[in-house]
Amino acid sequence: MKTVLCFGDSNTHGQVPGGTPLERFTHSERWPGVFGKQLGPEWHIIEEGLSGRTTVHEDPIEGDIKSGRLYLRPCLMSHAPLDLVILMLGTNDLKARFHQPATEVAMGIGCLIHDIRELNPSPGGHCPEILVVAPPPMLDDIGEWEGIFSGAQPKSHQLAHEFEVIADSLEVHFFDAGTVIASDPADGFHLSKEAHGILGKAIAQEVINIGWAD
Amino acid sequence: MPDMRFAPPNPIRIADRSSGMNAVSVRSYNERLVLSLLLQNNGLSRMEIGNRTGLSAQTVSVIVRSLEQEGLVIKGEAVKGRMGPPTIPLSLNPEGAYSVGISLGHRHTDVVMIDFVGQVKFYTSLPLPDETDPTNHSRLVETVNQALAALPDKQEGRMAGIGLAIPEDQEELALGPAGMAERFETLSKEIEDALGIEVYVQNDITAAAAGESMFGAAKTLDDYLFFYIGARLHHRLVLNHQIFHSRAHESKPVGLLALEASLCRAGFETDVLWKRGGNWPDFGDAKAEWFRTCVDELKASLAAASQFLPVNTVIVSSYAPTNVCEKIADVVKAEETGIDAIPGRLQLSPKALGAASLPFSSKFTVEQ
Repeated sequence: MKTVLCFGDSNTHGQVPGGTPLERFTHSERWPGVFGKQLGPEWHIIEEGLSGRTTVHEDPIEGDIKSGRLYLRPCLMSHAPLDLVILMLGTNDLKARFHQPATEVAMGIGCLIHDIRELNPSPGGHCPEILVVAPPPMLDDIGEWEGIFSGAQPKSHQLAHEFEVIADSLEVHFFDAGTVIASDPADGFHLSKEAHGILGKAIAQEVINIGWAD
Repeated sequence: MPDMRFAPPNPIRIADRSSGMNAVSVRSYNERLVLSLLLQNNGLSRMEIGNRTGLSAQTVSVIVRSLEQEGLVIKGEAVKGRMGPPTIPLSLNPEGAYSVGISLGHRHTDVVMIDFVGQVKFYTSLPLPDETDPTNHSRLVETVNQALAALPDKQEGRMAGIGLAIPEDQEELALGPAGMAERFETLSKEIEDALGIEVYVQNDITAAAAGESMFGAAKTLDDYLFFYIGARLHHRLVLNHQIFHSRAHESKPVGLLALEASLCRAGFETDVLWKRGGNWPDFGDAKAEWFRTCVDELKASLAAASQFLPVNTVIVSSYAPTNVCEKIADVVKAEETGIDAIPGRLQLSPKALGAASLPFSSKFTVEQ
């Protein structure tokens, strides 16, 4: 049995584009559900998606609970031992209130990787495999979210490259979701049901490619 | 002191991906390890690469991703395993890199261009330049340029280099026109200056053995005894992929020159012996006589080497028609118990193909 933690934001939570955090795709429609179905019953998938989650920032408006860093450690401890941790975050770091360039968002991802390595929550006290997934870029038209995400769109196009640089430097697995899916036009940064399906399958293939003994 | 965990990231591979193969001046040992493995084996999963190199899954992941982005490695079709989800095998991209090999002989200069998996993309055999020519490279440079022009569009940046296989056997050098050896010595620099492409020089027989190791019959062999039938019979010992030779002029007078002499005595026309890819007519007894002396000399070398090392495999290489090497290999195998004798698989010009393997081994493998 392999245990996987899917640590992400509203796009891991399965929030419907244009909806609220309570409007959510069903378990089997969300990418972690699709991903788990692809991998089969020998894999235990843990969904940890929170709307508004950032990599490391305590949100002055939404609250400190939105910091991925704050919650990741107890989350890892709760679910240990883990074989694989998938990190898909970054879009919320681009909110105007944080003033972060793409490189700093990538540093935030790096920070989470270091935290995982400090805890070593894998069987035998080892480090789990870590897969960084870069979110697809935001669309130019994000409607009423323009104020909150002012200036975020061009930066969102840089996330994949900067995440890959971090993944390379820290030697972890990397996948650019933007190569298989795009954000949904309903709000410009959430994923449609179809996109969840495609993403779940693509991530499953990436995870299989890692190669797992028995 | 700053916490170095949070210093600016230091990606070794990804950052310069857009600038192509040549921007990577120094390839890490681990990258070379992965490429060496893929040169030897077609279609390995990342897990197999990890198991065979001892690298962690995450390190393999980073290396493979960057090699894919450089276009050196490609994904194959998913393979359904006995259980669990399908795996994706990785192979070298044939179009990921190219190389030119030049073999200098006392009668011909062979020029070949190969792709990353050793497929011949261009081949020609040039006569030696006339003694009165002021340079010895003009046609060579022209020919290499022709080869480069045969590359698919926008692939020029994928030229790994030019390998030059030079004969050092005194007896064979003496067969060429006066001053040939001296001309050969300056050639590498002249080609480099004229084309601006890096040139790698190697002894011709050693190059032929290297070619069989990388692309031919010895691809999966660690240790073997290598024989090359040119004008004379040459041999090399290969141990753990390292090619050893004693003195460069150590060769036996039982090669094609001896065959030519024997055929001349019997009144045969012998030009066909020196042609690449030619078919020999039935020479009858005159050839049978040479064949026996050649095999006996080969077996004597094998016996000598076996006194010091357990030799299990012999490779017999030549540009001569394939059935010649096949027959020699068959006889050696039949007469020597416990010895596997295999004909070389590099056709047309094993020395030139071997020369073309030199830039690849220097740039992409752990063997230097």
